[in-house]
Amino acid sequence: MAGAKEGKALDLKTVICELESSTMEVPSVFVCPISLEAMQDPVTLCTGQTYERSNILKWFSLGHNTCPTTMQDLWDRSLTPNATLRHLILTWFSHKYSALTKTLHHLHATALHLLDTLTKVKGQNRVRALKHLRQLLDCHVSTRKTVLEHNALPLISSFLGPFTSHAVGSEVIGILVNLDLSSDFKKTLMQPSKVSLLVDIMNEGTLQTKMNCANLIQILFIEANASESHAEFLSSLSLLVGLLRLVRDKKHPTSVLTGLVLLNIVCSRESVRTSLVTLGAVPQLIHLLPTLNNECLEIALHILEVLSTLPEGRLALKECPNIIPNVVKLLMRVSESCTQFALSILWAIYKLAPQECASKAVEAGLAPKLLLVIQSGCNPVLKQKSAEFLKMCSLDYSTGILISNCMLTATIQ
Amino acid sequence: MGLLCSRNRRYNDADAEENAQAAEIERRIELETKAEKHIQRLLLLGAGESGKSTIFKQIVYIFLFVYNMQIKLLFQTGFDEAELKSYLPVIHANVYQTIKLLHDGSKEFAQNDVDFTKYAISNENKEIGEKLSEIGGRLDYPYLTKELAQEIENLWKDPAIQETYVRGSELQIPDCTDYFMENLQRLSDTNYVPTKEDVLYARVRTTGVVEIQFSPVGENKKSGEVYRLFDVGGQRNERRKWIHLFEGVSAVIFCAAISEYDQTLFEDENRNRMMETKELFEWVLKQPCFEKTSFMLFLNKFDIFEKKILKVPLNVCEWFKDYQPVSTGKQEIEHAYEFVKKKFEESYFQSTAPDRVDRVFKIYRTTALDQKVVKKTFKLVDETLRRRNLLEAGML
Repeated sequence: MAGAKEGKALDLKTVICELESSTMEVPSVFVCPISLEAMQDPVTLCTGQTYERSNILKWFSLGHNTCPTTMQDLWDRSLTPNATLRHLILTWFSHKYSALTKTLHHLHATALHLLDTLTKVKGQNRVRALKHLRQLLDCHVSTRKTVLEHNALPLISSFLGPFTSHAVGSEVIGILVNLDLSSDFKKTLMQPSKVSLLVDIMNEGTLQTKMNCANLIQILFIEANASESHAEFLSSLSLLVGLLRLVRDKKHPTSVLTGLVLLNIVCSRESVRTSLVTLGAVPQLIHLLPTLNNECLEIALHILEVLSTLPEGRLALKECPNIIPNVVKLLMRVSESCTQFALSILWAIYKLAPQECASKAVEAGLAPKLLLVIQSGCNPVLKQKSAEFLKMCSLDYSTGILISNCMLTATIQ
Repeated sequence: MGLLCSRNRRYNDADAEENAQAAEIERRIELETKAEKHIQRLLLLGAGESGKSTIFKQIVYIFLFVYNMQIKLLFQTGFDEAELKSYLPVIHANVYQTIKLLHDGSKEFAQNDVDFTKYAISNENKEIGEKLSEIGGRLDYPYLTKELAQEIENLWKDPAIQETYVRGSELQIPDCTDYFMENLQRLSDTNYVPTKEDVLYARVRTTGVVEIQFSPVGENKKSGEVYRLFDVGGQRNERRKWIHLFEGVSAVIFCAAISEYDQTLFEDENRNRMMETKELFEWVLKQPCFEKTSFMLFLNKFDIFEKKILKVPLNVCEWFKDYQPVSTGKQEIEHAYEFVKKKFEESYFQSTAPDRVDRVFKIYRTTALDQKVVKKTFKLVDETLRRRNLLEAGML
C-alpha cells in the first residue's frame, strides 16, 4: 500500500512538474494556501482548512499555533489526510497529463512527418513544409527538442546554398533561430557565403524575417566571442550596411531598436568601427537622433561615443551640420547615460578644433548645461568631466561672455 | 427619298465601321501601353568579353525553350514575326562583316606567314574579295541579294579563305560563320524572315543594342513577369552618349569575368582587364540615371577562375595585391573567391552615395556557359525583382 502510494506520489510529482511548464490553470481548491502550489499530500486541520503537509508542519515548527487562513487558535494540532481531495487532484492531473501527452505526441509526429517530407519534396512544397515546421517550432517548445534529437540540422542547413531562394532561406532561418544550435554548427554558419545569404534575406524580408536574421547574427556573434574565433564575417560590409538599413527603417520601431542593439554589440570590434565610419554611419545616426525614443537614443549615443574614439569618427562627427547644438540639446534631457555619452562626443569634437568649437558650444548653451551636470545628482566621474570641460571652454572663450551666459541660466533657474 | 435614306445609311454604316475600327485600335494601343508598363527592363553591362553576350544567349535558349513547350499558355512573348524580321539587318550585317574579316585576314596571313601560298586568294575571286571587303567596311550595308550571296559563297569556298577560317580565333571570327555561310541562299531570299535559330546565331554588333522579351514562367504559371533584356556593346567611347537612354530600367546585370585578373586588354596591352572592369563598374554605379536601379553583379567565368587561381596568384592584379593565400585546393579557391567578392563589395559601397544606399545590390557567382547555373541564377534575380516590386507597392 505504502509502495503504491509512493509510486503514485512520484508520478504526481513528475506530472505536476511537467504541467507547470504549460499554462494550465490549476483549480484553486487543489492549491495550498501557504505555497500557492498544487498539493501532493493534502492534510486538513481541525478548522476544516486543507494544506500541504510539509508546509503546515513548517508553519508549526516556526512556533505558530494558528490556522494560517482563518487565524483561529488551534485546539487540536492533528493533521487528517484528505484522501478525497488527494484522489481528485491525482485524477485531474492525470487526465490533463494524458491529454497533453497525446497532443505532444501528435505534435512530435507532425514534426517528424515534416522532416521526412523535406527529404523528398522540392519547390513550393518544400517552402510549405518548411513554413509548417517553423510555425510548429514557434508555438510548441517541446517540438524543438524532437527536431534536434532526430538530427535534422544537417538536412535543414543543406537548404542554405548558393541558389537558395528567399522563400526557402527565410523559413530556414526562422527554424534555426528557434533551435538550440551546437557550437560547431554555429561555426559553419559563419562562413562568408552563408553570412551573405543571411544578409540578403535580412535586407529583403518581412519584419519577422528581419528580426530572425538579426537574432541569428547576434547568436553567431556571441559564439564568436565565446570561442574567441576570428569572426571575419563581421567585417562584411554588406552586413553592416544591412544593420544600418534596419536602423533607418522608420516604419518599424522594432527594427530600429534591433538594429541599434546589434550595431552596439558589433562595435566592440575595432575592424567594425573603422568600416562603420567609412560607410557613413556617423551622419546617418546623427540624422536619426531626433526621431528616436529614449531607449534607442541611449544606444545610438553609445555607438557614436565608441565611434568618436577613432580619428575618422571624430572628423565625421565634426562635419555633421549643427552637430554641436544638436548634441548639447541632449545633455541632461534623457538619462545620465545619455548625458555621459553626449558629453564624451562633444569632448571628442571639441578637441579637434578647440577655438572653433568653443564659440559654437557656448552659443549652443553648453556652459549652463555643464553647470547643471555639476550641480546634479550624477555620478562623480561625470561631474568631474563636466568641470574639466567647463574649464577648457573658459580658457578658449571670453570668460566674460561665458559667465554672463551662466548667470542668465542661474537667474532663470 | 428612299435613295437618300439608303445612301445615308451607307454613310452611317461606313462611319460606324470606321469608328469601330478606331475604337479597336485605341483599345489595342491602350492594352499594349499597359502591357509596356508591366515590362521590366534589364540592362546587361560589362567590359568586353565579360561573358554578357553569352548570358544573353543563354537567357534566349532557356526561355525560348520554355516558350516552345508551352506555346498556348504563355501570352505573347519572345520572337513574334515583327521581332524576327527586325533581326534581318543584323544577320546580313554579320555576313558582310564576317566575310570581310576572313578576306582581310587571309591577306594578312599571306603577307606575314611563312606558308603564304596557302592564304593567297585565287585570281577569279580577288576582285570579289576586294569588293566585299569594301562593303563590309561601310556603316550601312546593302540588302543581301541573290547575286551578292552567290559571290560571298564563292569567296567562302575559296581554299585560301577556308585555310584562314581554320585560324579564325586569331582574327576574332565569330562562331556563327559556318552557320550563316551555309545558309546564304536562304538568307538572300527576297521574302526571307529570320528563323529563331538564325536569331540565336546572330552576333551582337558591338555598336548596337540587342534585346529580347521573355517571360520566365514560375511555378505559379499565371503570374509571370515580363522582362526585356538589353545587351549593349562594350565600346568605351560611346558609352557616355547612350547610357542615359536606360534610365528607369528595373535592374542592371553587370558581368565581370573574375578569371581575367592576369590578362590585359585587347585594345591596350598595358592595361589589366580586371582594372578596366573595376573602373567600368564604378563608372556605371555613379551614373545619375541608375540612382534607383537594382544592381545584380554576376561574377562570371568561375570555372576558369577555379583552375587559374591555383596556378596564378591573385596579387598579380594591382587591385588584389593585398591578397594572402591561406590554404590549398578547394578551400583556397573559396577563400580567393570571397576575397574578390569582398573587393567588389568595397568598390560598390565606395561608389554609392548615401542617398542611393537603399538600392538593391546582390552578387552572384556564375559560369555563363553552364545553362543550369544561368537558369538558377536568373530565377533568383527574378525573385528579387518581384519582391522589390511588392515592397514598393507596399504589399510586403
